Amino acid sequence: MKTGNKFWWFAAIAVFVTFAILSGLGLFLWHQLAPDDRLVIVKLLQSHFGYVFGALVLLLAAIGFAIDGIFHVYILPLSKLVEETTVIYTANPSHRIALEGSRDIVNMADLINREADRFEQLQRNIREQSQLARAEIELEKNILAAILAELPDAVVICDMDGRVILYNRRAGEMLVGRRQKSKSGGFIGLGRSIFNLVDKNLIVHALDEIDAQIKADAPTTASSFVTGGAGDTLLRTEAVPVLNQHKHLTGFVLLMRDITQAVANTTAQHVNIRSGMQQIRGSLASIRSAIEAILEFPEMNAEQLGRFRSIIHKEAIDLSRVLDGQHNAYADRLPTHWPLTPMLAKDLLQAVIHKAQQQCRVPFELETIDETCWIKVDSYSTILAMLFAIDQIITIAAIDRFFCSLDTGGEFVQFNFMWIGKPVKIEQLRKLDDQLVAIGEEALPLTVKEVRAYNQAQIWTSSTLATAAGTRCCLRIFFPGRQAEDVTSPRTAPILPHSRPEFYDFDLFNQPGQKPEVDGLRLTEAHYTVFDTETTGLDPKAGDEIISVGAVRIVNGRLLRDERFDQIVDPRRQIPAASTKVHGLNADMVAGQPAIGQVLPRFHKFCSDTVLVAHNAAFDMRMLQLKEQKTGVRFVNPVLDTMLLSEVVHPAHKNHSIEAIAHRLGVSVIGRHTALGDAIVTGEIFLKLIPLLIKQGICCIGDARAASQKTYNARLKY
Amino acid sequence: MTHKILIVDDEPNIVVPLQFLMEQNGFQVTVAASGEESLEAISKFQPDLILLDIMLPGIDGYEVCEIVRLNPEWRDTKIIFLTAMGRDVDIAKGMVLGADDYITKPFSNKEIIAKIKNLLNNNNNDENGQ
Repeated sequence: MKTGNKFWWFAAIAVFVTFAILSGLGLFLWHQLAPDDRLVIVKLLQSHFGYVFGALVLLLAAIGFAIDGIFHVYILPLSKLVEETTVIYTANPSHRIALEGSRDIVNMADLINREADRFEQLQRNIREQSQLARAEIELEKNILAAILAELPDAVVICDMDGRVILYNRRAGEMLVGRRQKSKSGGFIGLGRSIFNLVDKNLIVHALDEIDAQIKADAPTTASSFVTGGAGDTLLRTEAVPVLNQHKHLTGFVLLMRDITQAVANTTAQHVNIRSGMQQIRGSLASIRSAIEAILEFPEMNAEQLGRFRSIIHKEAIDLSRVLDGQHNAYADRLPTHWPLTPMLAKDLLQAVIHKAQQQCRVPFELETIDETCWIKVDSYSTILAMLFAIDQIITIAAIDRFFCSLDTGGEFVQFNFMWIGKPVKIEQLRKLDDQLVAIGEEALPLTVKEVRAYNQAQIWTSSTLATAAGTRCCLRIFFPGRQAEDVTSPRTAPILPHSRPEFYDFDLFNQPGQKPEVDGLRLTEAHYTVFDTETTGLDPKAGDEIISVGAVRIVNGRLLRDERFDQIVDPRRQIPAASTKVHGLNADMVAGQPAIGQVLPRFHKFCSDTVLVAHNAAFDMRMLQLKEQKTGVRFVNPVLDTMLLSEVVHPAHKNHSIEAIAHRLGVSVIGRHTALGDAIVTGEIFLKLIPLLIKQGICCIGDARAASQKTYNARLKY
Repeated sequence: MTHKILIVDDEPNIVVPLQFLMEQNGFQVTVAASGEESLEAISKFQPDLILLDIMLPGIDGYEVCEIVRLNPEWRDTKIIFLTAMGRDVDIAKGMVLGADDYITKPFSNKEIIAKIKNLLNNNNNDENGQ
């Protein structure tokens, strides 16, 4: 009940009781009086009615003032005292009570504040001790998480319901793509179903196979299949079981590798070989048939013989061409067992020059450098082989200064090491090519030619290279160029996070079934999508539109900041300057962004199977509902509102704005008035509200919704 | 009796020596360079045996074989597939469709003549036997 209403109930009851007592006394006295006395009193009342009425009004006013005083000095402060004390020992131990009221209550508040100081200190000590105790195990977990995050293969761990318990960055990239668009339109996230991204039948089949292997006590317990990933990729997936101590399946690990390129290469190779074989067979058939005819019929006329010779000649040429084509195609797709790493050619050149200047003591002058070209090499062996070649050339041609350039020629990236003076002969280069790579104390068990072959590099020398600075001798080493998009995603160094990274949560193993009745779900166990919308104004009915949507997820009591939805929307209408002042979004910023019709279906998928949480949710839900007809997307998820929940736990407070609640609960407000920023703050507030709700016996989603509906603000409509 | 042979291949460099070879062995020869041409030639020329390449422009050798086998008038026409595919599965497919034999490119002239003569003689024997 609202505090104001409480007061009026209290006042009414007090007045009623007072009058009841007075009336009772009056009636009692009336019955004690003789009839003559009663007449005297009636006459007195009639003659002095004004005085009697005035006395009664004064009495009422005095009672009213007394009640108001008692209410504001004792009752209301006491109510606030209880609420704020609860905040201290549940949500925010740093909170202190500041009250106006009777001296006794103020003294009691001071006493509680002093106890709160001790309580906070005690809690801090306990926290520090437990943090120390957990630090070691957390470090190990974080190392594991950091390694997983940087694995080149995708790793997804799921429970038996297919809900994701752990996934790494590569899994997100492979299954959903870097732009968050999977083929199926699904999202990856903790607690989400993997079946939105990988065909359920494939996984079920793999698990059946694994189950049979376990029962048969087979040495291998794994099953492989190929599935589609983001952007028409093919993922070779290995399913590995997670067993408990009784050897029962409790979950599974999916290890995924992108085999799109490998499959394309193999297919192209097969097609190539097959078509080549057919061409070779055809040409050989013609040659053989013609030559056998010539041999069998030596008396054939000259014209016939000429035709057969020309057939043999033409087919032999075709045969050579086919073989050349086959050779080149094979060389292009030559599978290398060395892992080649994409790198900027200029970085390789700088590394070579840096080492060469130390080892060979010859100055290198950099000329034109193309900074944009990429190559794919094994950098250590390549640098060493280039260094060795340069060192040998210096001796052969007595070079005292090099001029270096880096450019592209056709499909190749060319490293030019130029000098003025004695040229290097081709035989000397061949001899160099056959030598084992060794320079200083470093050596490889490979020749320059072998290193070149592994790295698909070519070497060439010229004595007459025309340059802007005149004719020079040149040693050119060239590699096949790579397009920037060929280059796989840049690898960042793993950084150990301060707290547990949000992309895994082993506790989910112990979750109950995936779809129990939502209202019966415990507040601490439900999965939430906390969201906020920014709009062109505050009147949805008058045509105000959504301009951005931001959301984060809460799974197992943790706010997953990385699993976010952050989308600016083109409202297809003018944005009032007043609203731009609030959210900072103007016409230029929304230009080219998707319309609400494209955004809402994606957002709907993002929130599937979760409880929606928003601050003043009635407004946001109204915005979404007004789009139902246009987009065909209906949000039927249960909704919780932090504004109403705050009113449930703090009915004595009047201000339930985000700032006020955040201040009360000790949540720092950063990034307000962006949809995502507000969603994050709302999420943190919601997490702080949960223990306060539980304290009041509100433990399930259904309880929280029922309690919210009884609050004053629940009557707000948009 | 002079046997009639239809060579169906789009590659003139194989057709020329084959045609020469057949003529030298006393056969009457006609050539077709596509599936469509071969069907026309079969109705006009009524060959006893068809040397049929599989990879043809338009209708391929398999389809030609199927059409021939479905026509009761051409029931006795012998078919030898000439294939550059050389895979067991390709050969098996040709045999299932009703070819009498196959020759994988490259082949020896003697082998092809032997197979042709063998098939045509069997045919003669069958006819005489009836």
